[in-house]
Amino acid sequence: GKWAATLAKQPATSLALQHFDATYSGQLGELWPSIRVALLSEKKYGALFNNFSHESTLAQLEAQGCRDFISDTGTEAQPSEVAVEEESNCVSIKKSDIDGQLLSPLQLSPHIKCLVFPRGDITRFKPARPDMYGLLGYYLMDAASVLPVLALDVQEGHSVLDLCAAPGGKTLALLQTQSIGFLCVNDSSVSRTLRLRRVLRSFVPKQLLTDEKLHISSLDGTKWGEVESNTFDRVLVDVPCTTDRHSVTEDDNNIFSKSRTGERRRLPQLQLELLLAGIEAACPGGEILYSTCTLSQIQNQSVVEQAIFLAQENHGIRLQVVDLKPLPHMFRKTFHFAPNLHLGEMVIPHLAANFGPIYMCKLRRLS
Amino acid sequence: TLQSMQHNHKVSTSSRKPDTELPLQSLLDMGFTDTQAERVYDTMSKLKGGSAAKHALSTLTALFVLGLNPSSVLKLLEKCPELYTVQDSQLQQRLSNLRKLGLVEGSLQRLVAHYPQILIVPVKTIKNVVLFLREKCLFTVQQVKDILRESPAIVVENTDQLEYKFQYVYFRMGVKQATMAKYKLFRFTLDEVRHRHCFLERRGLYQTPDKRGQTVIINPKLDTILNVDQDTFLADVAKASAEEYDVFKRLMAREWQEQEPQLGSIEAD
Ligand SMILES: C[S@@+](CC[C@H](N)C(=O)[O-])C[C@H]1O[C@@H](n2cnc3c(N)ncnc32)[C@H](O)[C@@H]1O
Repeated sequence: GKWAATLAKQPATSLALQHFDATYSGQLGELWPSIRVALLSEKKYGALFNNFSHESTLAQLEAQGCRDFISDTGTEAQPSEVAVEEESNCVSIKKSDIDGQLLSPLQLSPHIKCLVFPRGDITRFKPARPDMYGLLGYYLMDAASVLPVLALDVQEGHSVLDLCAAPGGKTLALLQTQSIGFLCVNDSSVSRTLRLRRVLRSFVPKQLLTDEKLHISSLDGTKWGEVESNTFDRVLVDVPCTTDRHSVTEDDNNIFSKSRTGERRRLPQLQLELLLAGIEAACPGGEILYSTCTLSQIQNQSVVEQAIFLAQENHGIRLQVVDLKPLPHMFRKTFHFAPNLHLGEMVIPHLAANFGPIYMCKLRRLS
Repeated sequence: TLQSMQHNHKVSTSSRKPDTELPLQSLLDMGFTDTQAERVYDTMSKLKGGSAAKHALSTLTALFVLGLNPSSVLKLLEKCPELYTVQDSQLQQRLSNLRKLGLVEGSLQRLVAHYPQILIVPVKTIKNVVLFLREKCLFTVQQVKDILRESPAIVVENTDQLEYKFQYVYFRMGVKQATMAKYKLFRFTLDEVRHRHCFLERRGLYQTPDKRGQTVIINPKLDTILNVDQDTFLADVAKASAEEYDVFKRLMAREWQEQEPQLGSIEAD
């Protein structure tokens, strides 16, 4: 009875898996089985360290065996190939490729710390505790989600837009840099924006959440360009996607359920519109980071390609792709990266380092 | 002094008398060499309690009647000295029960040599296992015989666990009784089976067949999943690294432990 019943139904998670088997085995080839088993097994977390909390010092976390993966780079680097420079809290990397050409150094946002247990270690984090002001010591999230924020490279006094921000993990990481001049946080979902407010209140002191420093809205991000364009130094466009890991493990709120087919099919179009809105919102010279948590080429590279084309075509905006190649090298101890992506970088899940998937691509607005 | 201690030790060794009325000469008569006979006494002394080895003579006799030679008799007694405690009548009942199940001379002899513990298990226990295999799992008489011959330790397994293992392989893996018997499923623990199967399944290399027994991909054979060492399994079947499989097994152990309550309550009945 029990056995037959589970066979007869087609839960959304198996629809998702069927879909991924069909598309990703072609796209990812031999990598797919390893990614598949990782997606279906318990994921790893990272503890985004909260610089504003007086609770749980770094030392306490490190005593449990975890380490900040961001400052823990390059210890195994071959000196002939790579030179890693660390200046105060600002990490930059110069990497010479095979031809001896220098890749432009990649600047990363400072002050962000994210702790992870070592490769192959499946220890879980304890829930964070509040300090005497009620602020929590760390925020548990996919450690790979910190990479888009790092790569965004927020600098002193920057105005920053987080276009699809809820529940706020990346917003929190952005705030850890303590260098933002003005931050706009948006998410079209009202309930999720409320959740984001609660998150911010649990991690960030009130004096940093004032109207002069922070603005929270619940607008349709695709319309942002009409309201406020050519404004922001940095824009994070962390779009809704097929959330691959969630889709193969949770039947609740699953985008592969039959009733949401239309919504799922419209995702690439929505993603494109959000990215274009983010591009318009950036000032000339400003930088935009597009990110997703799917492996799908159609939602990743294709969206970026089309956005670059349409930005030029419809708005006369020229864009340059910023090379993120140094990332996979710097963080190879912590993450597995997809090899040979022609556009952007992608963390792929692996049982020994079960983070991601996270895709990211960085654009610089030239005009 | 050291000397007197050595002296004492020597005295106590040579004066050690096994708790049996079995004189050295009878052992030599049975074909044991001197050293083998010494070791036979050692196996007896492993048993606790005064008259523990009182059925030694009848046990040895029964084993020789089965056609086992002195060295295999010695080896199996080293594995299972409890055999000395079994009454001759019980031993004969158990042997004749095994014969009735189709384990005749050659295979009976090999079974006893390989798994002597089979003779300390009550006839009733074995009958229950056989009943379970026949009626709950629908194995044929011939298959039951093969299972007992190839995986005799099944007789001491918890039947709830056995049932779970059988259902897992039958329903989740879609494997039929003949294949289970042929490829010695019951030699493997539930965890060994589940680890390998789940690993393959999550990698997309194994599918539960539908009602008509069909799958989109071709499943690897039970034989190539179970009857190979881990390196071969990883290299040829799973095409994965040892690191992945190691992490996977630890994750599974935690996953199963956290959903254990249901299985635990079955055991409690
Ligand atoms: C991947 S999640 C963002 C996760 C978030 N950046 C974080 O790190 O916690 C995508 C978000 O996009 C929001 N969203 C969906 N459609 C949107 C739209 N048209 N405009 C703005 N936000 C939208 C969803 O409500 C969802 O919260």
